[in-house]
Amino acid sequence: MTGAIPSIALVGNPNAGKSSLFNALTGARQKIANYPGVTVERKAGHASFADGRPISLIDLPGTYSLTPASLDEAVTRDVVLGRQDGEKRPDALIVVLDAANLDNHLCFALELLQLGLPTVVALNMLDLATRDGLTLDAARLSKELGVPVVPTVAVRKRGLTELLVAVDGAIRSHAAGEVALPAEANDASLRRRARTIARAAILSETPVRRWTQRVDNVVLHPIAGMIILLALMFIMFQAVYAWAGPPADALEGLVGVLQGWVVDNIPQNFLRDLVVEGLLAGVGAVVVFLPQILILFLFILLLEASGYMTRAAFLMDGLMGKVGLSGRGFIPLLSSFACAVPGIMATRAIPDEKDRLTTILIAPLMTCSARLPVYALIIAAFIPNRGVGGTGVGLQGLVLFGLYLAGIVGALVVAWALRRTVAKGAGAGFMMEMPRYQMPQLRDIALGLWQRAWIFLRRAGTIIAMTTVVLWLLLTFPQAPEGESQVEYSVAGRIASGLEVVVKPIGFNHDIALALIPAMAAREVAVSAMATANAIDADGDEDAMAQSLGERLQGKWSLATALAFLAWFVFAPQCISTIAITRRETNGWKWPMFMVGYLFLLAYAAAGITYWTAVAFGLG
Amino acid sequence: MNPLLENILDRAPLGVAVRIARIDWAAMSEDEGRRLREFGLMEGCEVTPLHRGSIFSRDPLALTVGRMKVIIRASQAAAIEIEPVA
Repeated sequence: MTGAIPSIALVGNPNAGKSSLFNALTGARQKIANYPGVTVERKAGHASFADGRPISLIDLPGTYSLTPASLDEAVTRDVVLGRQDGEKRPDALIVVLDAANLDNHLCFALELLQLGLPTVVALNMLDLATRDGLTLDAARLSKELGVPVVPTVAVRKRGLTELLVAVDGAIRSHAAGEVALPAEANDASLRRRARTIARAAILSETPVRRWTQRVDNVVLHPIAGMIILLALMFIMFQAVYAWAGPPADALEGLVGVLQGWVVDNIPQNFLRDLVVEGLLAGVGAVVVFLPQILILFLFILLLEASGYMTRAAFLMDGLMGKVGLSGRGFIPLLSSFACAVPGIMATRAIPDEKDRLTTILIAPLMTCSARLPVYALIIAAFIPNRGVGGTGVGLQGLVLFGLYLAGIVGALVVAWALRRTVAKGAGAGFMMEMPRYQMPQLRDIALGLWQRAWIFLRRAGTIIAMTTVVLWLLLTFPQAPEGESQVEYSVAGRIASGLEVVVKPIGFNHDIALALIPAMAAREVAVSAMATANAIDADGDEDAMAQSLGERLQGKWSLATALAFLAWFVFAPQCISTIAITRRETNGWKWPMFMVGYLFLLAYAAAGITYWTAVAFGLG
Repeated sequence: MNPLLENILDRAPLGVAVRIARIDWAAMSEDEGRRLREFGLMEGCEVTPLHRGSIFSRDPLALTVGRMKVIIRASQAAAIEIEPVA
């Protein structure tokens, strides 16, 4: 151990408050990546002992035992046994226990202790245990377990220093080379011992009025609970619109100022056009949606941190069970509203293989945040900004809600069909622990938001910037002769004209045909592609330059075309990242190809039906 | 399956504590059985069924076991025989 930075793994049951403890110990010094070969998220971070020596911490997926039921639980087992590829066996373990749930969590702790690694127990969430009327004896627990036990309240940063001191001590005093494999743990005897130890450690137990139970009586009520769930979802999508306005305007203004600055300070040349019309117009058009994406993630993070998400899964299980899925799938699917990539990754917690496959295949039908820029642009341009029937409900928000709903209904129908054909199998199970309600912690939420914002901006700076520049080049060459439209004459314009033949029947015009191909790289590129094309189109025309993209589309598209375009994006054949993650998760090309195929068909049909219906109603 | 349906957790009234008398482990997969035990659902323990289903279905069932609240499916609850708490 001399020289090398000691690596310490946090391990424990789900809902033991592991991630909060990890966040409290590492702060913002975290790195999220994947374990090589599997898509289980690897959360690592840095901290240091009191004397400044650095340590590396790793937050392992929560599990109940070393016998895994799902892919992420297998990672926990493999890491602590030193079998995970590319991952050093940890030098010490911090076993995180929920102080209010000792008899259950001690079982896993006892199993982990048999590994013979230097171990410290964090008796976490002591404040919640007190709230539940428990008084605990940490010293007694330590004596029974034979390892240091440190009481912690991660959210208040209590006990963290003591915890690291104990870890340091455990590593120092640990004799090298006595690493054991866990003995075949007899389920029942381990459980009996856990119960005995828990009884010894609990000094007193006063029954307290459980307000949480009264909350659950309403939140899980078959009717009231469902109304609350729908209301929450509705508020979430309204907020995405209502709150994002001012910050989005500010960002848009900033992009305009930057463009103006470049135009004023750099003489007209190829490079300046590339920066103003390509980079700034394209990337800028996507970056302005950062506020909306953050608001959506804020809601998801709050729902997860408060413990409500599992209640939502409970309420949705009946519906999802009807189409052959389980409530477990609700969480990955809700994450897919932010992005299908983490959503598909989150399916690793679904034990049933067919259930999991179906959930992966329908995840792209959840309206991801990358589609939000497209929806936002088109809705703002074509749907009037007014209330519905004198209520406070905005029509624009309502349309957005409808688009999300269309994706959900589509997903349920597809899941139902898949479970009866290609993903046939026994009904999936649904077993889950319901976490207690907890006040979401500002630090955890802020950290989560920061990580999401960073991922989004990195995408905007890399993949989106690159596709935009390539597209700009394809739109700029060859130079159109006098009197011809540059966009029509360019390479990209000619490709789009070819594609237009195929999409014309469903009401798509040249603008859309042009946007569809680069949108495969990332859906929001559809917006930047149109922004770039329009910026080139407007070159030199002062009036046109002053118009926003939405205003320009308003003048060029019919309402039927706009609606068809929205319908297309409900089922939009997904981006390259989604295809790649599906390939990795399903170990081959079969399922990603299947997914792309069925989504293309659905998108085409949905856009077509929308267009023809709208035209029939005289909106063409 | 036990013919006395009122002895089955799946049919038990909500909000009343009961003791698990017997679990038909053969009625579920090995993984399901292990997860039940990991939740602490075993012969002899006390549970209180609390919430059942939604407008869509009778599934699932939420119950307390010790200080935990867990969700299981009706099919598993049907394999669990209960008796009144003495």
